[in-house]
Amino acid sequence: MFKLAWANLIHERVRLAISVGGVALAILLILILNGFFAGFQQQAVSYIRNQPASLWLAQAGIENMHMVSSVLPADALMRVTRMPGVKKAVAILYATIAVQVGDALVPSYVFGIDPNDSFGGPWLLSEGSAAVSLNDIVIDQTLARRYGIQLGDTVSILGYKLTVKGLSKGTFGIASNMVFVNKTALALGMGVSPQAASYIMIQPEPTAKLDTLATDLRAVVPEANVMSQSFFLAREQELTQQMSADTLRAMNTVGYIVGLLVIGLTIYTATVERVREYGILKAIGTDNRHLIGIVLVQAFIAAAMGYWLGVALSYGIVALVDRIFPDVVILIETSSWLGEIPTLVVIVVLAALLPISRVTRTDPMIVFQT
Amino acid sequence: MNTVLELENISKIYGRGHTAVKAVDNVSLQVKPGEIVLIMGPSGSGKTTLLSMAGLLMHPTDGHLWMNGQEVTQFNERQLPALRLHNIGFVFQAYNLLAALTALENVEVVMNMAGIKGKAARTRAIELLAMLGLEHRLDHLPADLSGGEKQRVALARALANNPPLILADEPTGNLDSKIGHEVMELLCSGVGREQGRAIVIVTHDHRLHDIADRIMWLEDGKLSEKEKYWNGD
Repeated sequence: MFKLAWANLIHERVRLAISVGGVALAILLILILNGFFAGFQQQAVSYIRNQPASLWLAQAGIENMHMVSSVLPADALMRVTRMPGVKKAVAILYATIAVQVGDALVPSYVFGIDPNDSFGGPWLLSEGSAAVSLNDIVIDQTLARRYGIQLGDTVSILGYKLTVKGLSKGTFGIASNMVFVNKTALALGMGVSPQAASYIMIQPEPTAKLDTLATDLRAVVPEANVMSQSFFLAREQELTQQMSADTLRAMNTVGYIVGLLVIGLTIYTATVERVREYGILKAIGTDNRHLIGIVLVQAFIAAAMGYWLGVALSYGIVALVDRIFPDVVILIETSSWLGEIPTLVVIVVLAALLPISRVTRTDPMIVFQT
Repeated sequence: MNTVLELENISKIYGRGHTAVKAVDNVSLQVKPGEIVLIMGPSGSGKTTLLSMAGLLMHPTDGHLWMNGQEVTQFNERQLPALRLHNIGFVFQAYNLLAALTALENVEVVMNMAGIKGKAARTRAIELLAMLGLEHRLDHLPADLSGGEKQRVALARALANNPPLILADEPTGNLDSKIGHEVMELLCSGVGREQGRAIVIVTHDHRLHDIADRIMWLEDGKLSEKEKYWNGD
């Protein structure tokens, strides 16, 4: 069965190439789109992921950073810092504001940080310093390169000119540009108290129990929502997934339809062109089960070849994009391409249904036609 | 003596009511092991229909069929393929080889279907093709073979599962007279009589009279026996 199916496939190399190419294209489309969104999601939560804080405080009822506004009381940091079990607490201000770089306005997540704190700011620097004074700013190196900005140049936020003090890494992505400014300066710009905070990050003492500390924090700062970092991260990922889920689903559906049509059409054409041969096989004693097997094996071989080609091409494109557009993160993990296999199996079976129906209806009397 | 194939009052009617056409009309025929039977007749006389029923490719409207003493008239579409696979070898005018398979693979594939696989199948396929003078063409695709070579591959395929009955439909129809004669010699002398195999040949070719044991004439669906040296007039 396998031998005949394989022979049929390679006998028509052009058709095999079209079939394999079509499946590869569909897989490529799906993996790249998924990878693009996975990269977007990874970048969107990179700030939370890269802060060495076990507990996070946001305004009560707030569980995200994106698309929300969190305001904590001005004395919240003081109350938290005094608590036993808290090793270090860092307050940040956070706002979504357009940064003027040259003539361009770049929508950005602006983090107001205290330059004396050991964390809360950029986690990787390529140049300069993150110790931002009132008139300083740290921007991403990709943003700087794109607009020809160097250390010492100025950009504007809310009309205030700020000098680029440092260049960060891993803080720029599509729709997720991060910049870091002095917290007091941002508070003044936003018209809030310099002691105000959007979020407070907490490093507990090594001996402290996280659950107990969280409970105590809820009692001391009842205006806050106390979350573990993993919970906060998960909620943020969920939000970004919701933001992109419909688009992703639509594009995946397009990819699968392309794959279905390509496999279906090529296998159907191959079957119809060989219908006489299926009739011959029937006449000489092959049963329908065997013929169905031949059609399915052909479909699965073509799909498997296309699948592996698609996976290989996807990784090739990721490498290419990484080289040409370093700020665009396309994240393809093993689980993402392995996860496409069950759907592909269903697609192949669906695509083979019409050819199977044609084969099983073939009259073996066709052998007498000359 | 046992028969390999027996048709008893077989009829085939196409269509219904006033449009009904009786393609085969109450035909009876017994074919014994080693016997070579030629069925001749004008175009449209029902030869192919008769051969299809004998080959278990088509159910008769009436009558009974026996294969190796077993009545198979009521066998269904699930039972018939295995019966054909093990009991009947087909040789067609259009050769009907599988284009993607080599000569060797075309023979092997029939044995594979019957459960003979690997080296056993390959060895027998090579033996058969060598016996038919094709040992140098084993790895050639049908497109690279001449008409005579294709028909010999088809013959090897028909013999692959060592069936007791060979049914041939115009086996020389696409061959010139010399090659046609060679193929028929191989079919009838080499693998027919000598191996005790029954062969039923449907043909227009009068040159085949000499090799047949019996010549039947089919006209308007009715079968009658002709003298061995009948000249076709």
